Amino acid sequence: MSVFNLSGQRRRIIRENIIAYLFLTPALTLIMTFGILPVAFALFVSLHRWRRFPEEFIGLDNYQRALGDFAYVVFIWIAAGAAAYAGVTLWRFIKQNRGQPARYLYLIPGVAAAGAAALIVNWVVIWLPIVLDIPQRLRAQARSGELFIGELIASFQTPQVVEAGNWMLLGIFAAVILAGLCFWAIKSDRPEKLLTQAASAFFLLIIATFTLQLTVSEVFLAIETAREAGNELPIWTQAAIISAGVIMLGTAYLLWRSANRGGNLRFVLQFAAASMLMVGGYAFVGELPMLLSGSDDDLLRGFNITLMYTLGTVPVQLMFGLLLAYLLFQKIKFQSFFRMVYFLPYVTPFVATSIVFGILFSHRATSPVNQLLTTLGIPVQKWLLEPTGIFKLIFGPQVPDVLSGPSLALVVIIIYSSWTYIGYSTVLFLAGLGNISGELYEAARIDGANEWNVFRRITLPMLSPTTFFLTLITIIGTLQSFTQIWILRTPAASSSVDTVGVYIYETISQSTPNMGYGSALSLVLFTVILIFTLVQNRISRDRVFYG
Amino acid sequence: MANTTLNDLVSSSETRRPTIRIGRILIYGVLIIGLLQAIFPFFWMISASLMPINEVTLGYLLPTRPQFNNYVDAWNQANFAQFMWNSVRITAITVVGQLLFCVPAAYAFARMKFVGRNLIFGMLVATLMIPDVAILIPNYLTVIWLGRLSDAVLGISWINNWPALTIPFMASAFTIFLLRQFFAQIPEDLWDAVRIDGGGHLRFLWSVVVPLSRAPLMTTLIFAFIGSWNALLWPLLVTQTDAWRPVAVGLTKFVNTDAPTALHLQMAASVIMIIPILIIYFFTQRQFTEGIASTGLKG
Repeated sequence: MSVFNLSGQRRRIIRENIIAYLFLTPALTLIMTFGILPVAFALFVSLHRWRRFPEEFIGLDNYQRALGDFAYVVFIWIAAGAAAYAGVTLWRFIKQNRGQPARYLYLIPGVAAAGAAALIVNWVVIWLPIVLDIPQRLRAQARSGELFIGELIASFQTPQVVEAGNWMLLGIFAAVILAGLCFWAIKSDRPEKLLTQAASAFFLLIIATFTLQLTVSEVFLAIETAREAGNELPIWTQAAIISAGVIMLGTAYLLWRSANRGGNLRFVLQFAAASMLMVGGYAFVGELPMLLSGSDDDLLRGFNITLMYTLGTVPVQLMFGLLLAYLLFQKIKFQSFFRMVYFLPYVTPFVATSIVFGILFSHRATSPVNQLLTTLGIPVQKWLLEPTGIFKLIFGPQVPDVLSGPSLALVVIIIYSSWTYIGYSTVLFLAGLGNISGELYEAARIDGANEWNVFRRITLPMLSPTTFFLTLITIIGTLQSFTQIWILRTPAASSSVDTVGVYIYETISQSTPNMGYGSALSLVLFTVILIFTLVQNRISRDRVFYG
Repeated sequence: MANTTLNDLVSSSETRRPTIRIGRILIYGVLIIGLLQAIFPFFWMISASLMPINEVTLGYLLPTRPQFNNYVDAWNQANFAQFMWNSVRITAITVVGQLLFCVPAAYAFARMKFVGRNLIFGMLVATLMIPDVAILIPNYLTVIWLGRLSDAVLGISWINNWPALTIPFMASAFTIFLLRQFFAQIPEDLWDAVRIDGGGHLRFLWSVVVPLSRAPLMTTLIFAFIGSWNALLWPLLVTQTDAWRPVAVGLTKFVNTDAPTALHLQMAASVIMIIPILIIYFFTQRQFTEGIASTGLKG
């Protein structure tokens, strides 16, 4: 009877699993196709010459075109990072599983699984261009379902695909058999964890090796070509110097942190950190322009504009948002009415409000903003048509180009974006203020704290999670902003307002789109956003107070 | 400090009263300035949409004689009937797709135990951190390729058609989170009752969970509507004709082609575009605000 029961329960578990996966499959397929795999696909596209259709593999050329020789350095860093992370994972594997018997045997299926994963990637990389090319090959024969399906089937039967496929099947087979053997032979509490750790470490190692090999061969090629043209290309020394600079900056940060923890060596450590910072910073700042010298000027300008746009928008809207929220929180009548109106600019479609700002800030002497300037006795401005930096406009033409600041056109866009985001941060700060417990305030008042001290010592720290979230969301939002800039850019000033997002759209929407280069650019932007998110997370770990 | 008596507290609050009143006036002053800056562009937008063209270019604050037929002109010239209908169609298809794709997935996460649940859930969280710009180009290429395939086999093309505008948005990790949160709160007793009646997961989902979840489904609908109403970059990429262009793209094209001549009509068109969003905002304010505020969904 009990055996029967057990099998019934077992069957029910299996049934539940099957139903759950049936429920999940449609959504997961879509999310995989349009949410996760695209990142890998973008990498694949960026390594090819790819205008409308896939052409040949060109390695890192797209990245070299975007970032100059700095691209090679970045890829060497990526390889080193992957290798280091693999080392960390292996170390964890050894350290965390000390109690497990014969854990080293799990390295064997780990290697096999990593190899199998690499072979799967290899197969996809060989198969994908053939499939993606089908529409182009069938361009003459319009709309033939059978032909398309036929080509699709034939793509699996191409000799090189079949060969890669056989290797892939062999790898998967070996990995499954070895893993099964290990599971069966060695009793362990969590065999799947051991296996995943080993496999991911080795897979990272494979990736690191591949990246390093690709980069190094490209660098040698570049040096060789330069030498034939009679130039010296000191990439290696430059890469070494800038890497040393970055390592020094990292060490300086670590030293500084340990110095602040106190101890006898405090001043020695601080001194060491400061000198590291200076030397490392000098190496970094000195080498970077040389490495970037062959890069895409439009991209660098785009990053510069994006940076100014972000720096102009985020602090302003955070400050005003906090101010309005704090005031609204003081038991104000009609609080919800105020909140509703403040939120309006964020709610309404950006397209429509951007158009309004475009007319408010138009270059005509009679436009509303220019009328305001005239009544204040300030000369009329060209606003969105003005590509000159604002400091140049204020202090005269003797200001050097580097210091001229955001163009007046960009300032209008910054004003617009602050206008839309102020309400957003007001609403979020208001919610954050509502979450602070009243007891804290009461305690502070009893202790005789004044308004400013309460704000400084209680409100701000307790709001830090909201501030953190808002900063992150708005910076990521501004880094990839498109709509407002697309509407407000004018041909006269477009070169001074085109952010990276707009530039990416331009590279793929022209009459001769360049998908490969566009993908490389979007991955560069993605990396910047990612680094930014990680740094922000790291900083917030010390500063944000989660109650 | 320690020997502050009740008397001191009372008297100090009495002496402070006048300053508090001045402070109040200051607070209200700042708040009203905030109100004015938030509302002025809207005021001017509506005002300019009622002016003849020369009053807009001369920068009048109010129209001398309101011209309501600007709206009729804008509606006709901008082909708005078509664009609004497109946006509504896109929303409807997206929402139906989200019901089909996200509701079962959210249910599985909320109420079922299966192998690899945490892993898959972690993967969904990861998708929220991938910025749109990173996946724009690959998705465009995917949509082109799938469109060729579906055109050849089914006769439905994707570019310039509804699939490119709706299918990539049918399964959103965000909607799955939202629904999962709600589904997990439905009492266990109801599930037991269904099981005693001999029903399974599908029956429970369809006849209990979905009818109970009207509120989150409404939120999903609102978000899909806002999304399709505001979207610019993606539709700009995948539509080349007016047949399926949503309203934001339609308005952009109208403004960019009719450049400086028809400012009053541009304003009227913008007003037309924001009216539906404002209506929804005023009627579903709480859901709307909380939803947008908690996700940062916009842009």
